[in-house]
Amino acid sequence: MVKGVNTQGAELTEVRNDRRPRPVEPGLAGVALVVVAAALARPLLEDLLDRPAVAHWATIFVAIAVQALPFLVLGVVISAAVAALVPAGLLPRLLPSSPALAVPVAAAAGVALPGCECGSVPIAGRLVARGAPPAAALAFLLSAPAVNPVVLTATAVAFPGRPQVVFARLLASLLAATVVGLVWARSGRDELLAGVHRRRAPDGPPLAVLAATAQHDLLQAGGFLIVGAATAATLQTAVPRSVLDAVAGAGPLAFLALAALAVAMALCSEADAFVAASLTQFSLGARLAFMVVGPMVDVKLIALQAGTFGRGFALRFAPLTLAVALVVSALVAWWLL
Amino acid sequence: MTPAGGLISVLVGTVLLRLVVTGVYGRYVRIGMGPWLAVAGATVIVLGLVTLVRALRHAEPVDAHDHHRRGEGGRVGWLLLAPIAALLLVAPPTLGSFGVDRGAKVDVRAGAPVFTPLVQSGEPVRMTLLEFGQRAFDHDGASFNGAAVQLTGFVAGAEDGGFRLARYEIACCAADAAPVVLRVVGARSPARDRWVTVTGTFQPGGGEAPELAASNVVETPAPRDPYE
Repeated sequence: MVKGVNTQGAELTEVRNDRRPRPVEPGLAGVALVVVAAALARPLLEDLLDRPAVAHWATIFVAIAVQALPFLVLGVVISAAVAALVPAGLLPRLLPSSPALAVPVAAAAGVALPGCECGSVPIAGRLVARGAPPAAALAFLLSAPAVNPVVLTATAVAFPGRPQVVFARLLASLLAATVVGLVWARSGRDELLAGVHRRRAPDGPPLAVLAATAQHDLLQAGGFLIVGAATAATLQTAVPRSVLDAVAGAGPLAFLALAALAVAMALCSEADAFVAASLTQFSLGARLAFMVVGPMVDVKLIALQAGTFGRGFALRFAPLTLAVALVVSALVAWWLL
Repeated sequence: MTPAGGLISVLVGTVLLRLVVTGVYGRYVRIGMGPWLAVAGATVIVLGLVTLVRALRHAEPVDAHDHHRRGEGGRVGWLLLAPIAALLLVAPPTLGSFGVDRGAKVDVRAGAPVFTPLVQSGEPVRMTLLEFGQRAFDHDGASFNGAAVQLTGFVAGAEDGGFRLARYEIACCAADAAPVVLRVVGARSPARDRWVTVTGTFQPGGGEAPELAASNVVETPAPRDPYE
């Protein structure tokens, strides 16, 4: 850190002098304590893993966390690069000033981010912090995980010989992201995003800013990712998917059931098409809803969004997105599938 | 938080790298993700080390005021320690028979190719459970041509005169796993969740799950990539 660049430099120095005599950083001791406690609890852990249900839960929990981490790291590094390298004020000038134009443009820009949904949350948060209109950043947040080439290719592989499914997914995801963005532009409460606005990037040389920002975002988003992964693993273990068979094929109920499944399973958007393909007892339309809802709303994403934008925001944004995604999927399915 | 945060990051990165080096990551995600996990692990370690060194040198983090102001959230990173502590000590096993009947099975009818017939020779033909299921569906298993095949999977429960053999397909990670299940007949069932290599021939008329008439069942250790 460069001395004195911070505006509260004097206060900083005092704190520093205050802390220096302490022999051990309390945080470091805390981490060590947790690791030692876990080591002592090892026999208990092993006993627990002997139970099939617990082992199933643990495997899915770890799998979701491990699978998401590379994408999360990519996301926080891009987000940190935006913080360090994009001058404040550039983003608002790049985007059209009218939300009616900016929102669809941002939704379409999602095509350029190859990855799944965990990466786009910190990026969208950073875009808002750097002055992009929230409605546009949110449209990007929703569309990027669903419309990028990697996900569309996976969808084509999962539904061989049925290119209309790929097209329907692209169209429905873009439409849903745009509609949610426009609704937010009209009646969203941007003050709910105040927490993101306040998060100003630290000062200093670009590389130091990049490292500090990436590290901060990683822990923040990573912690919430763990909450989401634990929730999804619990739902997958506790609720047998066979309960869904009761409503299979029954029109609107099937849409709701698969939307609920998408929220509960918290799949990577690169993989959800394969699961959708295996849900053959449901109509193609309901499976489209599964693939449109999943990358936009699921328990892991809600946790990540709550962590990045604030709880009040996530509580309003998730139901809005879910409703729009369901309606748009039904319309597109009725037209195309 | 920050020096501790740096240490947490270093631990996260170390665990990721260790999963890759030991190959254990194959239990959780598809094998192809190895290089990405390694890159992510190395990146996180570097970030953590930079933070740790700077924080210890300067006692107060660069973005300290952020934390003080927001209070909440700064501590949530500690949750990352949960899977880390668990993975450092005991790695959860591969998915087993518990989940086989809890979700949709792989649909072998979707996108199954038309197979060329196998050639009968002395050696059994090694194949995946998925291919076995697809061949069984394609013209009712005509392409097996009576040839002996060899499959590796885990035991998903005993049945009358045999057992169910299963293996998961995954697209991305274990959370999206869907099982392929077939019936092995003519052999005593090993213990549930044991990995076995079964040699035998396709037996028509199996109905929902295709049938394999076993000539030989050998227990094996779980393969490095337990999913197909």
